[in-house]
Amino acid sequence: MKTFKLLFIAFTICFTSQINAQTADEIIDTYFENTGGVENWQKIEGIKMSAKVNQGGMEIPIEITQLKNGNQMTVINFQGKVIKQGVFNGESLWSTNFMTQKAEKSSQEATDNMKLAINDFPDPFLNYKDNGYTVELLGNETIDGTETFKIKLVKKPVTIDGKQEENVSYYFFDTENFVPIAVHSEIKSGQFKGQMSESKFSDYQEVGDIYFPFSLTQGLKDQPGQGITMDKIELNPTVDAKEFEFPEEQPETSQENKN
Amino acid sequence: MKKVIFLLALGIGLLPLFSNAQATDIISAKDLFGDLTARHIGPALMSGRINDLEVHPTNSRIIYAGTAGGGVWKSNDAGTTFNPIFDDYCQSIGAVAIDPSNPDKIIYVGTGETWTRNSVSVGDGLYKSVDGGVNWEKIGFENSERIANILINPKNANEIYVGVLGALWSDSEDRGVYKSTDAGITWEKILYENEKTGCADLIMDPENPEILYASMWEFRRTAWSFESGGEHSALYKSTDAGKTWNKIHNGFPKGNLGRLGIAVAASNPSILYTVIEAEEDARKGLYRSDDAGNNWTQLNNDFGITVRPFYFSRIVVDPKNPDVVVKGGLDGSISRDGGKTFVSLGSMHSDIHDIAFDINDSDRMFVGTDGGIYRSWNGGTTMEIVENLPLSQFYQVSVDDAEPYNIYGGLQDNGSWYGPSSSTGGINARDWNSIGGGDGFRVLKHPTKNIIYSEMQGAENVWRYDVDNKLVKTIQPLPKKGHAKLRFNWNAPMAISKHQPDRFYMGSQFVHKSEDMGESWTIISPDLTTNDISKQEQENSGGLSMDNSGAENHTTIFTITESPLDENIIWVGTDDGNVQLTKDGGKNWENTLIGIDGLPANTWVYHIEASVHDKATAYAVFEGHTTGDMKPYAYKTTDFGKTWKNIITKEVVGFARNIQEDYINPDLLFLGTEFGLYITLDGGNSWTKFTNNMPSVAVHFIELHAKTNDLIMGTHGRGIIIIDDISPLREITKVVLAKKVHFFNTKPTVMVDQSGFSGNFGNETQFVGNNPTRAAQIKYLLPKRHTFGKMALEIQDIEGNKITTLSPGKSKGINIVDWSYSIKQPKVAKGKTFSFGGFTSPRVTAGKYKAVLTKGKDTFEQIFEVIYDENANLTSKDREIKHNTTMKLYNMSENLAYMVYELDAILESNKLKNKKLISSLNDLKKSLVITTGDNYVGSAEPQLREKLADLFSKLANSYDRPSSNELGNLAILEERFEKANKDFDKLKKKVKLPDLNLKSFDDFINE
Repeated sequence: MKTFKLLFIAFTICFTSQINAQTADEIIDTYFENTGGVENWQKIEGIKMSAKVNQGGMEIPIEITQLKNGNQMTVINFQGKVIKQGVFNGESLWSTNFMTQKAEKSSQEATDNMKLAINDFPDPFLNYKDNGYTVELLGNETIDGTETFKIKLVKKPVTIDGKQEENVSYYFFDTENFVPIAVHSEIKSGQFKGQMSESKFSDYQEVGDIYFPFSLTQGLKDQPGQGITMDKIELNPTVDAKEFEFPEEQPETSQENKN
Repeated sequence: MKKVIFLLALGIGLLPLFSNAQATDIISAKDLFGDLTARHIGPALMSGRINDLEVHPTNSRIIYAGTAGGGVWKSNDAGTTFNPIFDDYCQSIGAVAIDPSNPDKIIYVGTGETWTRNSVSVGDGLYKSVDGGVNWEKIGFENSERIANILINPKNANEIYVGVLGALWSDSEDRGVYKSTDAGITWEKILYENEKTGCADLIMDPENPEILYASMWEFRRTAWSFESGGEHSALYKSTDAGKTWNKIHNGFPKGNLGRLGIAVAASNPSILYTVIEAEEDARKGLYRSDDAGNNWTQLNNDFGITVRPFYFSRIVVDPKNPDVVVKGGLDGSISRDGGKTFVSLGSMHSDIHDIAFDINDSDRMFVGTDGGIYRSWNGGTTMEIVENLPLSQFYQVSVDDAEPYNIYGGLQDNGSWYGPSSSTGGINARDWNSIGGGDGFRVLKHPTKNIIYSEMQGAENVWRYDVDNKLVKTIQPLPKKGHAKLRFNWNAPMAISKHQPDRFYMGSQFVHKSEDMGESWTIISPDLTTNDISKQEQENSGGLSMDNSGAENHTTIFTITESPLDENIIWVGTDDGNVQLTKDGGKNWENTLIGIDGLPANTWVYHIEASVHDKATAYAVFEGHTTGDMKPYAYKTTDFGKTWKNIITKEVVGFARNIQEDYINPDLLFLGTEFGLYITLDGGNSWTKFTNNMPSVAVHFIELHAKTNDLIMGTHGRGIIIIDDISPLREITKVVLAKKVHFFNTKPTVMVDQSGFSGNFGNETQFVGNNPTRAAQIKYLLPKRHTFGKMALEIQDIEGNKITTLSPGKSKGINIVDWSYSIKQPKVAKGKTFSFGGFTSPRVTAGKYKAVLTKGKDTFEQIFEVIYDENANLTSKDREIKHNTTMKLYNMSENLAYMVYELDAILESNKLKNKKLISSLNDLKKSLVITTGDNYVGSAEPQLREKLADLFSKLANSYDRPSSNELGNLAILEERFEKANKDFDKLKKKVKLPDLNLKSFDDFINE
């Protein structure tokens, strides 16, 4: 039934889009409608994605958890060791240091920028107006040989190296199915600062009532990206809140002895 | 009503299908290029010409560079590195301007470079970005050809002035000063002289935006001459925002004027500087006004100030000090006494076009040259080059058959070079080798010997370089008794022969042939040009400033091609429109180009491509931009030039300079135009622009490498750009396009054993070109992007056993998936730290494998092959021993992992009461894996797990068969492993615990 509805919508839009220009809001609304409906999207409390990354023959299992309260983490399991990256509990952002395997906090700037994105769950376009974000339809663009609507999403400004900068990303919604198939955004810091990042989405499949992309590719625009394939996506998983807490290290010597 | 709309929509939808059905010959490549992506290899070490620099008015970290042929680049780190931000549009830039009221967002780019040398490209209008340069929109001036300045009123962002220099090669009314009062929606021309006179410089009083100064310049180039100056050149001032203009020439030299630059001191707007090209040498040079242009005093006419005004007219005043003035020039000059005396700027690449001061500290300067951007930290005395701007401007490229192959080519003002298509750690600046000075043009490698031919402008020197012995000799044809004076083009043609390795051709107005690598020459043709003497008066070229550099030499041969199928067939094209053919090695010549419909007479023959498929077939590319004709022209003959068929369609934008025929599929052609690369799959019935990481850059020359099928482009502004292995394009037919999935054939992939050391010094700020992949590639065509449902790609051995899974491409068109011909890394035992050796994925054995693509319910298979690297000199026995030993260690690692898993399960069950037994189990574990320390300098003594994994990794990463040293080590480890097994078995018997519910070995390994 759902497939039929989807096909029907795609069909109708195929013909009408040549006559009626779409607005950004219509595209976003259709996206949510086609992927499960806003109501179902709003019911999501948490998402846990189990995936594999293949890097030059090396297979790396990862697990990404995101919760409605903004808590999130990526867990990599390597030789039986658990390494956490980008762990956020609403207050602190931290990662496991690869060398010491101990937790280390990210910079205050990165943490503050992360706090701005708390409301992005489960999708930055859901309730975007309430979050103070703006969207704009910039026109059509071809991605992967496919016609898309290019929508500019402006979120709250981030601070980069002490200076406030606009937080912009460009989403490309397939004109046939109205799901995003790519996102571009300018890399703000690090070695690739100033270059454009690109993520691509495909293999949309149903989880519960919602369609999620089970395959994504991340990298620099116009360069081969790194593929990530989801084995499983779990909705509303049970996660111990402690998992997101920064594990304070027990001091080996007491403060009094430090002079 | 609704029904009508529906039908209408249906009608619109069906119409194109119908017309396609009629044109059965069309196989459009639109949307099919998929993962076929251009790879940029620079070089950046000599960079390329810069036209305009612009600094952000409040953020000293941000700098924009408008380049002559490589687009717009933005620095976010105060000029340390730059990124391109204008790749989709015309790459020839005249001016970049930042809206002072909204400098983070609103940027204007005027295209078409303004330093009007012979090799300049053309622009196509004015662009605006409202998001700091991420997205661009063209807002007019389509026919402006070159935009010199853009000014935005700092008090009213809707008020914009544009100085249009306009067409260089032809009359045009699209010139002068324009104004918009609605942020660029509508424009009014507010200053205009005539069809020959454009605005060369335009400035605004920094305090009063009503006051404008405009320099107007009368100028014209033809292919054979240049004329600077005339009675319409003048300096104007407006005090009413451009409504009225008055000449401000009080104190100016008498007679006609040429190109004038103008600058105002930001710190004191009454102080103006202008540099004047005048009739009388003594009156040329720098003039200053201290009363806002009412009166002028001549200050200086040194060489550095007066040299080549058409190329160097930029004056920049230190924003903090009105007496510090910098003038572009051969070396660039700086005055600290208000323009009276000058010293040269610090040592850097010559030909300085623009200078920008840092907004906070005038000791920091940025300088744009013919060889990139330089920074100074000490007011222009010491200059350092920006190392990540691959703006090199190639005129031509060629390749050799080395592995990896080398690319050769010559550059505008940057000599000639060759460098590898692949190098350890990426293609670095240090990989490039200089192979000629001056302006470089054509460079050819001798087909069999390690000898390279290169040249400088006008064949003043043609070098023959013996690479092995480092011996250089000049071999250009010299005038001989009884012959006319030789006329060589600025970019003089050379050619080698597929049939006679020592044969070497050069072209003046005659074809010169040497059979001994340039030692001796024979002229084998009459004058093949029109020999129009009215186009041979270069000593009178330049206008007010004589400029006889040789760049305007005309009525010359420009291209020579010997047929790859018959050495007696030679095609010659001239810059004045002749396509000459000999079929008898030069005894008889015939001008084949009599009356081609639609081709204007005397249109420059830029390239002739003699077909590899058929002797009588050739392609000719013509370009007429030096007469103002910007249309592309390419023709094909299949009858030795008796008839020529137009193969250009309306999709092609920009005049064309080069064409490349595929060696296998005669309908696959590549066309280089001033605005990028175009590809046809149907012999020219339809063309598609290639845009995957391919900027809209001028493609001057294209080569197709016979062995690798790589397409190599010499671009005039973005260096060498390669599309690796274009062979999938050969297979695209209507039948293939109708399939659900089409796998492309791939050659067996060599599992490369070669490696090396690269060092990464300087890579943080230097451009490094990407290497081609060494992976095995699975290539397939999808008729539509895969977005919904599952799609998976598995590699299997020929019996169907799974080797690994890969992330398949989902794009419409060509998909390319890399496989590193390895299985996944072994599962290693859990310890306190990582076992780094365990991160190695060993290679598979050579042989045939299957790529199995699952898409929804359908499965598609392709068999492909990987082969061993012969360079490693291993026998098949060696390979077998290497593989078996490596896999033995792989399996030992996994067995050990399971042993530790069992052991941990016993210990963690907490059911064991026997303390001695617990202690024995712990002791055993400590000998199996590291149980303390960290992954860096706190690491503990390695145990069996680490030793196994390290030896495994050592063997897997080695090209060689295991040595006795390694096998000896293996024997010790096997012994220790066996003992550990026995010890564990004994302990297990003692444990006598109930079922621990352990996973089976296979489940454990595959979890």
